[in-house]
Amino acid sequence: MADLALNVRGLSVSYGSDGDRVRVLHDVDMQVARGRALGIVGESGSGKSTAALAVLGLLDKGAAIDAGQVLVDGRDLYAATAEERRRLRGGKVSIVFQDPFTTLNPAIRVGRQIAEPLMMHRGMNAAQAEAETLRLLTEVGIADPARMAASYPHQLSGGMKQRALIASALGCDPDLLILDEPTTALDVTIEAQILDLLEELRRTRALSILFISHNLGVVSRICDDICVLYAGRVVEQGPTRTVLSQPRHPYTKGLLASLPSLSVERRRLEAIPGRLPDQRQPQPGCIFAARCHFAQARCTAEPQALADAGNGTRNRCWRSEELQDTPWRVEAGASVERRPPAVDAPTVVDARGVARHFRSGSFIDALSLRWQGWRPAVAYRPHGVRAVDDVNLTIRAGEIVGLVGESGSGKTTLGRCLIDLVSPTAGDIRIDGQSLLAASRGAKRALLRNAQIIFQNPDSSLNPRMTVAQIVGRPLDQIGASGTDRDRRVRELLDLVRLGAGYADRYPHQMSGGEKQRVGIARALATRPKFIVCDEAVSALDVSVQASVLNLLLDLRDAFGLAYLFITHDLSVVSYVADRICVMRHGKLVEEGATASILGAPQHPYTTALLAAVPRVRLAEAPVRPTA
Amino acid sequence: MIGYVIKRLLSIVLTMAIMSVLIFWITQVMPGNVAYMILGDFAAPADIATLEAKLGLNDPAHVQYWRWASGLLRGDLGMSLVMERPIGPILADTVSKSAILAGISIGLVALVGIAVGVYAGVRHGKPADHVVSVATYLNIAVPEFLFAIVVVMLFAGYLNWFPATGYSDLSNGFGAWARHIVLPVATLVLGLMAHISRLTRSSMIDTMQSQYVRAARARGLSEWLVIRRHALPNALLPTITVLAIDVGIMMGGIVVVETIFSYPGLGRLLMFAIQNMDVPLLQACMIVITFVYAAANLTADLLYAFLNPRVRYGRSAGD
Amino acid sequence: MAAVPAIDAAPRRRRLPTSLIVGTGLLGAILLLAVLGPLLSPYDLDAMRIDLRLAPPSAAHWLGTDEFGRDVASRVLNGAQSSLLMGFGATAVSLAIGVPLGLVAGYYRGWTDEVIMRAVDVMISLPPIILGLLILSVTTPSLWKTVLAVGFVYVPIMTRLTRSVTLEVATEEYIQAARARVESGWYILFREILPNAWPPIIVESALRVTFAMLLAAALSFLGLGVQPPASDWGLMIAEARPFVTQAPWIVGGAGTALCVTVIAINLFGDGLREALDPRLSRRR
Repeated sequence: MADLALNVRGLSVSYGSDGDRVRVLHDVDMQVARGRALGIVGESGSGKSTAALAVLGLLDKGAAIDAGQVLVDGRDLYAATAEERRRLRGGKVSIVFQDPFTTLNPAIRVGRQIAEPLMMHRGMNAAQAEAETLRLLTEVGIADPARMAASYPHQLSGGMKQRALIASALGCDPDLLILDEPTTALDVTIEAQILDLLEELRRTRALSILFISHNLGVVSRICDDICVLYAGRVVEQGPTRTVLSQPRHPYTKGLLASLPSLSVERRRLEAIPGRLPDQRQPQPGCIFAARCHFAQARCTAEPQALADAGNGTRNRCWRSEELQDTPWRVEAGASVERRPPAVDAPTVVDARGVARHFRSGSFIDALSLRWQGWRPAVAYRPHGVRAVDDVNLTIRAGEIVGLVGESGSGKTTLGRCLIDLVSPTAGDIRIDGQSLLAASRGAKRALLRNAQIIFQNPDSSLNPRMTVAQIVGRPLDQIGASGTDRDRRVRELLDLVRLGAGYADRYPHQMSGGEKQRVGIARALATRPKFIVCDEAVSALDVSVQASVLNLLLDLRDAFGLAYLFITHDLSVVSYVADRICVMRHGKLVEEGATASILGAPQHPYTTALLAAVPRVRLAEAPVRPTA
Repeated sequence: MIGYVIKRLLSIVLTMAIMSVLIFWITQVMPGNVAYMILGDFAAPADIATLEAKLGLNDPAHVQYWRWASGLLRGDLGMSLVMERPIGPILADTVSKSAILAGISIGLVALVGIAVGVYAGVRHGKPADHVVSVATYLNIAVPEFLFAIVVVMLFAGYLNWFPATGYSDLSNGFGAWARHIVLPVATLVLGLMAHISRLTRSSMIDTMQSQYVRAARARGLSEWLVIRRHALPNALLPTITVLAIDVGIMMGGIVVVETIFSYPGLGRLLMFAIQNMDVPLLQACMIVITFVYAAANLTADLLYAFLNPRVRYGRSAGD
Repeated sequence: MAAVPAIDAAPRRRRLPTSLIVGTGLLGAILLLAVLGPLLSPYDLDAMRIDLRLAPPSAAHWLGTDEFGRDVASRVLNGAQSSLLMGFGATAVSLAIGVPLGLVAGYYRGWTDEVIMRAVDVMISLPPIILGLLILSVTTPSLWKTVLAVGFVYVPIMTRLTRSVTLEVATEEYIQAARARVESGWYILFREILPNAWPPIIVESALRVTFAMLLAAALSFLGLGVQPPASDWGLMIAEARPFVTQAPWIVGGAGTALCVTVIAINLFGDGLREALDPRLSRRR
């Protein structure tokens, strides 16, 4: 443990003004040995991004280090002057942020932004820095570095931008590279490329890495060691393989149990009930006790220090040894039935030759000026996007069809066409045998009671000015329910989504993300539909919450024979819920088949590429080791 | 970029055309009998008939409009009823005088206002920022005409440093010209300073909190470099648009200021036309103001587009 | 699952912004004075005393007298009514026209949007004072015409603001959900969008009141607003201008009243923005 690139000792950080401080990191210890990669894993609110900023000395105004030390290369960051800290940044410690779209300055050419730290810390002149920039860009896999360096950020794709930012972070050969969710904003195939690049760089450069992510699969691929953060506390840490194969802390167990994996065999996911504790309230005992079903009286009373587990890991649970072999189990569920394609069930949705073209820009935008010899010629070339291009899709009662694709594939547009939120430019859509496009307004309203939608973003899908009862009750008003009958139905619906009638008078801001998503489901169920479009319905949720919503959706299907079009970018999720999978790319369905056959024997090369790109929690093979 | 320029030009031509109809309609067609308004309620019927014939008021509205508008397009602004002289030369003279006044003022406002805004934005939350905030807060509550009167009272009335009103041509010497123009310029600058400095400040604060500024800090750049290279170019881009809006506000200010200081510019001419019901002169003034303001906005839009790499270069690689 | 967890800590009570408290207090006092003005004023507004022309402030006349020997304090007190009426009245006019237009343009997009926004562009193609002058130049001036004209001048700003907020709210998924239920346009505009679009509109209106007051005062000052012998602040300043060196108290009295009122409303508006703007209340 002598040679540490980063040593964080007892770090506590809080935000806010006097009398209203929230402590977001509590007594955090973590070490990155030279040449090794430490992954920090946590769900939203775990404080993992704050940890990254604290290590850089870049905390926002209003944040304060209450206790602890950050030693970079043996030097105490917060004992140094601000000027010394500045010299460390970009030189000894560099960072790649999550969102490449906002991290590059839109007004400056990419090359200059990469060259900046070179001139700052390595004392290069402009020409040397430019040459080094091109070399760095080549190293991160850019085919045409000169063109890239001369570009402005808006001319590059997200993956390109992230490569440029990685090049910039590597420029001064940092002792520590911090990666803060570096692939979260990217599509899965791009993510895989960036992860390949990072693995490659680890091999060639012997980098010391602090890798922050919510995705266990990504972390298990890159990191030697792992550190699980919950509500600002390290609950478990140790070698990645050991922690993930023999989790000792109940939270780690729960996290792994709630993670859908890309496999044919389906065990029912186990969720973690409840929500993150209110960190403004003092928590005398174990921070996880409120959500832990192993919790005993002692857990809520006594604080728990990080203790050695004997297998090279450490955790904050005094029952960890006794519960060593007890898995996390909340819902008594066996495996989930994978239904064979229901050939005999009636067709609920039948879409034929559906297309949707968008013309981008106005008439004038489509005009362009060209010179023919010395004569100007104005040409009219409308820019169009074929968001959905001649798609056929049928969904039968009780069937869950997964629709996967990357951003821009047209999967959302297709979903919205099916419930008339977007009008197709061609084709025919039948719901329950009746044509949706030909229907009058009144007939459409009746028809769409059978076809509803659940949205992605729990913060956006509920009107913040309405109570849960109003939100769920509105579709009932439309079908003429009133008085006690309506109230009864609202209560039933809330029970159905496992919220209970106590939620009726709440406003959206008084609920957690998972609870809001359940309200959205209740609203969609109000008119007793036969078919629901789930548009990235669990993508915005943390893994532990996502599992419980997925299970709810499966149970509702079993109870009511609902059919879902489950739109998602996440193949693991779709492999868990779907009976049949459709793969979409550039507006077309490129492959369609039963889940088992898509996962087992994909036919289309794009499907193969997608499947290969999914980051899985790897327990068998050891993460890459630097060869240097 | 070419499409954008064509689009902006077309939309400005359209706007000007509709505005000209509106101006004409409001001043000539709408209020019933213009001749009555001009000659008063007790005018002899014969005089009214003569004036109506002279103005062509007996023709249908669209004929009248077309006569006026086609004159405009040929550069013929018509005759002033009161001064009985062609409007063109009168306008040329007053517009150039107002342009000098406005040009100096807007230049000063841009220079000082942006500097103050940037300074306050960088020092966000510090005492200097609070001083600027309070000062601009008070400044914004005071109307131009009050500034003008206070300035006249202090520097012309009590101190007698500058003349209270009037104008001296440059041909009478630079000193006299400058002495006459100091107080009007000071009033206009005071009237606009707060606006631009407040907007620059908030734009600067937003930029300083952006992710790319954080990234620049993470590269270890000095705070000065972070501000100069990363924050300023992005923060100052919106001020171009703000300056165009300020040109408009300043045109309003010019009416007030020229009236108070008896400065022989466009603003005073406009008030003269209104007070004397000189309809052709009023129409001409309004058209000129519309045109100048449209030109200012167009310049700002094009400058913005040119300085913004997103518009200048479009996108080449797909996202 | 049955047990409902307690609503945690409610939406945490944040301290009200100081500017809101001070602004509300000041504005309340001014409104009170405006209502009670006629009762409080010690002298008849139009009572002229030629022997007391341009008398400096004294115990009898706190703010002195004007060129007709009228009591300035009484007139300033009464002037509050017309200034506030013009500020709030004009804003109400611009809200009444601008908000529906903005909602429709922002939600329906397409041709409706194009037509409304082109009309707005035309109105904005003249600077505010000039547009006010154009509207008022051809009619005999009066208070309500000034209110209408000033209100009209600010319609484009309200339309643009409402439209931009509507565009933002319309992308929210609960609007999509309403459309998936085939709700009527009326319901979506006024029940789903408007309640969520209100905060920025309210804040802008509060600040717009001061712009309207200043614009109306400037128009009165130029002789196209409120007419003599009314006790309007802008008009009083215009009338007292020739005597400003001999009798600065008239301009001082009316000017201070105008500025203090404007500052009060601005404080109120900024406080409101701070209290309502989610961006300021968001942490981290």
